[in-house]
Amino acid sequence: MRHIELKGVQKDFDKTTVIPPLDLEIAKGEFVVFVGPSGCGKSTLLRLIAGLEDVTKGILEIDGVDATDTAPGKRGLAMVFQSYALYPHLTVAQNIAFPMRMAKIPRDEQQRRITNAAAALNLTDYLDRRPKQLSGGQRQRVAIGRAIVREPSAFLFDEPLSNLDAALRVGMRLEISELHKRLKTTMIYVTHDQVEAMTLADKIVVLNAGAIEQVGSPLELYDTPCNLFVAKFIGSPMMNIIVGQHAAVFHAASVGVRPEHLTISKSSGTWTGVAGLSEHLGSDTYIRVDVEGIDETMTVRAQGKFNVNRGETVYISPEVENLHRFNEAGLRVVS
Amino acid sequence: MIDNSRQFHNRRRFGLAMMITLLVFAALPTVWVLVLSFRAPVAIFEPIWESPTALTLQNFYKITRSDFPAALLNSFITAGLSTTFAMLVGVPAGFALAKARLSGKFIASWVLLLLRMAPPVGFVIPLFLLYANSGLIDTYLGLVFAYMTLTLPLVTWSMWNSFAQVPDELIEAAIMDDASLAKAFFLIALPAARPGAVAAAILAFLVAWNDFFYALIITRSGTTTAPVAVMNFISYDSVDWASIAVASIALTLPILPLMALANRYIVQSLSGAVKG
Repeated sequence: MRHIELKGVQKDFDKTTVIPPLDLEIAKGEFVVFVGPSGCGKSTLLRLIAGLEDVTKGILEIDGVDATDTAPGKRGLAMVFQSYALYPHLTVAQNIAFPMRMAKIPRDEQQRRITNAAAALNLTDYLDRRPKQLSGGQRQRVAIGRAIVREPSAFLFDEPLSNLDAALRVGMRLEISELHKRLKTTMIYVTHDQVEAMTLADKIVVLNAGAIEQVGSPLELYDTPCNLFVAKFIGSPMMNIIVGQHAAVFHAASVGVRPEHLTISKSSGTWTGVAGLSEHLGSDTYIRVDVEGIDETMTVRAQGKFNVNRGETVYISPEVENLHRFNEAGLRVVS
Repeated sequence: MIDNSRQFHNRRRFGLAMMITLLVFAALPTVWVLVLSFRAPVAIFEPIWESPTALTLQNFYKITRSDFPAALLNSFITAGLSTTFAMLVGVPAGFALAKARLSGKFIASWVLLLLRMAPPVGFVIPLFLLYANSGLIDTYLGLVFAYMTLTLPLVTWSMWNSFAQVPDELIEAAIMDDASLAKAFFLIALPAARPGAVAAAILAFLVAWNDFFYALIITRSGTTTAPVAVMNFISYDSVDWASIAVASIALTLPILPLMALANRYIVQSLSGAVKG
């Protein structure tokens, strides 16, 4: 079922168009992630949906109703900000209560929802504290609590984890994922981190310079990127892109191959190269290889441990069935 | 840095010496005025060691029978009202300048700065002519308006600054929570900028309280403020130093707690206490 729909939505700041006309459909209950490099317009797009920015042209529909000019607070959407945006002079309980106060929900109902949210988010012992006295992860949970109690029809997350350290980020990522499984509410999530996008999303929207490059499930984007931009943006380490004579062999202007679709050998293989730095992760080893006739240094994944000295000659072979071929315009060539 | 302890001690000693010098300069006149206020007018210029115990309260009694208490009340009323009005207009104005997407902010900032920097003489003559024609000379209203040429730019400018330190996302969060702009202002932005608002109010009050020039030109006997009333103790044949000393103390006492408060809040508002 359709929930949020953008029809030809365009955004100009002064005379610069930051988002050229764009169409997008978000289904009810879906977890959609907007991902792209910084400055790609993903946050602006989220703020357009939230109503914090005015749409220059086009229509934004929520539940089939034109909501282009609806006030942000009347859209039934809750937002979690990157800086958490907790009200500094209010306690945790008062912060969580604030949207309910605005909605004039009866006191006892407010109290019930605060208690539930606090229990679900491990905040029960902190209800009387002020935001200043909380850790980053706790502040994040208060911000989520404040969003939950409104019982919104959709959650909007604007890079919610980027202020947390790496370990907390993984934990909060799981919590947000759990939350989505439990509430089954539509979630729109903005991040520049493609790992967050891959792990959280039902549907990823890859943005570049305000335009949608590709929309699809994480694995669709991973397996069949529709152009070079998506191919390079999704996946870590980055896909190797080969141009020139080695690509011409495969009848393409450029060929992409992921590090795990290359096999490395010290005896024989398709391409000959010289080993560079190796990164030993224990379960895998990533080896940088300079291949003759390929400008960019390639990254190759070897399963387990693979010992190779710097400067040693190695041979690498791509899995032909897992090659991505692109034409001169950078678009995927369907084989 | 502190491993050379001798250098450290020297530096400390130097700092201490500077502070004592400063204190002597700043405090000595105040102490002197305080002593003067307790001395009999006839003995006021005698060296204090000749009659160190000859202290009296008669100056205080005398001043209560003069026009000075009424002038003190006038000072309270005009400084209080001009601060109140400046806050009522300047705080929302500062909020708008800090948070609204307005064109011409640059011009507004220059106009405000100019108003802050322009000497009062620049305002007083046109104001006097205006007031003479509209019957505002020697009225509270006239003086309060005149003070607002000082307090309103001060409050607006400093609240612009204070609200600029309140993150946009706080207000946006309130708007997303379905708060009206007024509620976002009163329930979120204003409490977050409270230290700045208190500091602005205190500074505005002090500016009006300490004014001499406007009151001298605009008031007559009816609304004379305390700083002007002090002059009444200077007559053709004599200067009533004892009363002037008492009046000075009466003018200073009410602002001491304000200064202490202002000090705290100014530090708070400068240290960005609003960040969540």
